[in-house]
Amino acid sequence: MPSLVLTVNGRQHRISADPEMPLLWVLRDLLGLTGTKYGCGVGICGACTVHEDGDPVRSCQIPIAKTAGKKYITIEGLSANGTHPCQKAWLEEDVSQCGYCQAGMIMEAVALIRRKPNPNNEDIDADLADHVCRCGTYQRIRLAIHRAARERRTS
Amino acid sequence: MTSTRRSFLKSGALAGAGLAIWVEFPGAVAEVNAAPFRPNAYISITPTNQIRIWLTRSEMGQGIRTTLPMMLLEELEVDWSQVQFEQAMPGGLFKGIRLRTSGSGSTVGTYTALRKAGATAREMLVAAAAEKWQADASTCRAKSAAVIHLPTGRHFTYGELASAASQQKVPDNPPLKNPKDFHIIGTRVKRTDGRGIVTGRAMYGLDVRLPGMLFAVMARCPSIGGTLVSFDASKTLASPGVRHVVPVKEGIATGVAVVADHTWAAIKGRDALKVEWDMGPNQNFDSDHFLQNMQGALGQDGYFVRNDGNAVEALGSAAKTLEAIYEYPFQAHAPVETMNCVADVRKDSCEIWAPTQCPEVAQEETAKMLGLPPDSVKVHITLLGGGFGRRLFADYVPEAVEVSRVVGKPVQMVWTREDDMRRGFFHPCDIEHISGGLDASGKPTTWLQKSIGSNLSMFGFPDDEEKKDPQHYFKDGSPWGAFDNPYRFPHLKADFVPLNSPVPTGPWRAVEYPATVFARESFLDEMAHTAGQDPLEFRLQLLQPGDVLKIGDQEIDRSRLIRVLQVAAEKSGWKHSLSHTRERLWGRGIACNVYAADCYIAQVAEVSIGRKSHDIRIHRIVCAADCGIVINPAGLEGQAESGIIWGLSATLHGKIDFKKGAAVQSSFTDFEVIRMNEAPVIETHIVATDHPPGGFGETAVPPVAPAVANAIFAATGKRIRRLPITPDKLKTSS
Repeated sequence: MPSLVLTVNGRQHRISADPEMPLLWVLRDLLGLTGTKYGCGVGICGACTVHEDGDPVRSCQIPIAKTAGKKYITIEGLSANGTHPCQKAWLEEDVSQCGYCQAGMIMEAVALIRRKPNPNNEDIDADLADHVCRCGTYQRIRLAIHRAARERRTS
Repeated sequence: MTSTRRSFLKSGALAGAGLAIWVEFPGAVAEVNAAPFRPNAYISITPTNQIRIWLTRSEMGQGIRTTLPMMLLEELEVDWSQVQFEQAMPGGLFKGIRLRTSGSGSTVGTYTALRKAGATAREMLVAAAAEKWQADASTCRAKSAAVIHLPTGRHFTYGELASAASQQKVPDNPPLKNPKDFHIIGTRVKRTDGRGIVTGRAMYGLDVRLPGMLFAVMARCPSIGGTLVSFDASKTLASPGVRHVVPVKEGIATGVAVVADHTWAAIKGRDALKVEWDMGPNQNFDSDHFLQNMQGALGQDGYFVRNDGNAVEALGSAAKTLEAIYEYPFQAHAPVETMNCVADVRKDSCEIWAPTQCPEVAQEETAKMLGLPPDSVKVHITLLGGGFGRRLFADYVPEAVEVSRVVGKPVQMVWTREDDMRRGFFHPCDIEHISGGLDASGKPTTWLQKSIGSNLSMFGFPDDEEKKDPQHYFKDGSPWGAFDNPYRFPHLKADFVPLNSPVPTGPWRAVEYPATVFARESFLDEMAHTAGQDPLEFRLQLLQPGDVLKIGDQEIDRSRLIRVLQVAAEKSGWKHSLSHTRERLWGRGIACNVYAADCYIAQVAEVSIGRKSHDIRIHRIVCAADCGIVINPAGLEGQAESGIIWGLSATLHGKIDFKKGAAVQSSFTDFEVIRMNEAPVIETHIVATDHPPGGFGETAVPPVAPAVANAIFAATGKRIRRLPITPDKLKTSS
């Protein structure tokens, strides 16, 4: 089994795995980072979204062989204890219902605000439309993204 | 006592009358001095003032881990920050206490029990303090986990009183607070477990990790009812990470489980499996053919559901009549967390970790399978990544148990998205045929509704003897929405033709209401337009203030429905019509429903349709709801938003087809749901009343489809009666 070094949340992990194994399952089943969720396995629901060198990617679509030299951040690595503006905004706006999709939503939102510090609803629709929330928390996600963006601008 | 499917889903009486919801354990735990004060199963207070509360429902997004404690803490007089929460498990102290979560019944079913639990503990603590002070209990007050002696200001914490409270007599009927003194119930409380979710630490079923645990996925026969003949696992066993290949008999279908070091290896191993199936008796089942059969049954006499006046005769003599047929297709639940379960079978015991709405069933079935007493099976209820009725079935539990038993290790059974979408218990396909009569002045006089649908296979189909009873379905209160049609027509007849398909069917958010209410509220709109009347006014003339409909064991207060209709209309600007724009046609539609006689809801949808593209945009939905005393207004608003998006997904996208005995759709590409770019603005207006609380997890779903269909008609003059409503249907409709 080939071995490689995977950098997640600032830590390096030596991984021995099938090169085709998606990053999602490496995170969840080998590293125990279960905050990143499985939803569809084909990159269409967004639940498994993580950051690759700062960009949001679907971890179910990234074979572990392609992760060399890249830095990944998962929901667990977003902040020390839930203090990222997006996490705070999610709590303030009481977004979560079942909550299962929210890690992916938050990772997408963080990347959106980094790229567009003042996103409008169309920006939010465009970036978040790749995510499924079966509880339908979309309206609150919109509010939370605006709130997080505001806080980031003023702090 | 009669058991109806409503009573099962809502309050839990199907398995036999006499399920206790209140169990007390006075004194039993007070023998050791340091033992906690445990006046009932819900509450424990240690002498060191550690206060623990047990939650008796599953959290699946409805906010129940917040709502339940609100009711209990209100009476217990303890603040949020002073309490630890525990998820109750079946058995032990919770034997006989319902843990199943369904039918929007969690608040309704626990409101009194939890308040009584809190009040019992409070009264015993106050009595203990009064005894210590040799004071009259009426001079003592409980507040913030302490008892205060009002005349002197002395106080004891609950912990200091724990041992003495254990010695007090358990009051039979502890006084409950006057609602005007509530300081928790009725306030806006955010989700108490939100932080774990946004940091990735919250534990769902798929997140359970045990030492030595293996991961399994299963190949199940594609065709419903098919069985395993043989399999060749040689390639699978050679696949890296695969440890075992296990034939499985238990669960929703027979099949073969591939057990591996991690999920990916199990999935790859399954891909390499060669299986021969006996496709079984339903291999030619086709949902399009089934739909034709349903239409063919329109002429059949149905079972009696309602018969007020003489509708058949009245229709014959009506000045104007109209009729229409509506169709609601099969639907999948498709929660984002797929079905899964961890089982750890040992020699004399078993532990289960499952995201389940029915932990009692999981325990009972596991015990039966393993030949163990139920108390040897521990069922841990994790967070549920969505439930919506799918997790009222425990079919994924025996699969995990069987595999763990064979391999002798803890096993996580994982359903892939495709497994989850194509297998399970679907919302049944349904057809509604409605005829209406108006008199010469356009006044509605007659309503005839025939529902052709499934019994829901979950409840088992009636036997031949039961079928002979013409009132069988009436006694069951089915179909919901036709049986409890809230409008007063001089002549109203409803009947039901049960037509079951091989597709396993079960409760899907709002259970039987979505199809019947889509038809009922659409047809009212059709009648209103035929009569040349405003659809709101048309409804209001069928609802008189002070008029109460008594049907079965339900009492529907029409005044409450009038009020929510008026509020939704007023807040949406109903009186001011929308103007079309150059590119788009605009319209509003209204619909309402009464859920289980205790929740009254009305919605107004605002939509626009592309003149050329026929694309459908839902801009805004205004919702007014009266569900009596609201425990947590913030939670209710969340459930309104959630139910509306759920209903919209079915209105605009949702449809499962079956070909060759198997579901065609397999993922979110072909079973689409509403996403951010389609999500409307939702405004929720709570109409506060002091009626007992109603449940709100499902209430917002049924009116969405007809409100949207009616709005589309207002915009385009096109009436779509078959869901989902798509641009293609609008394009081809005249």
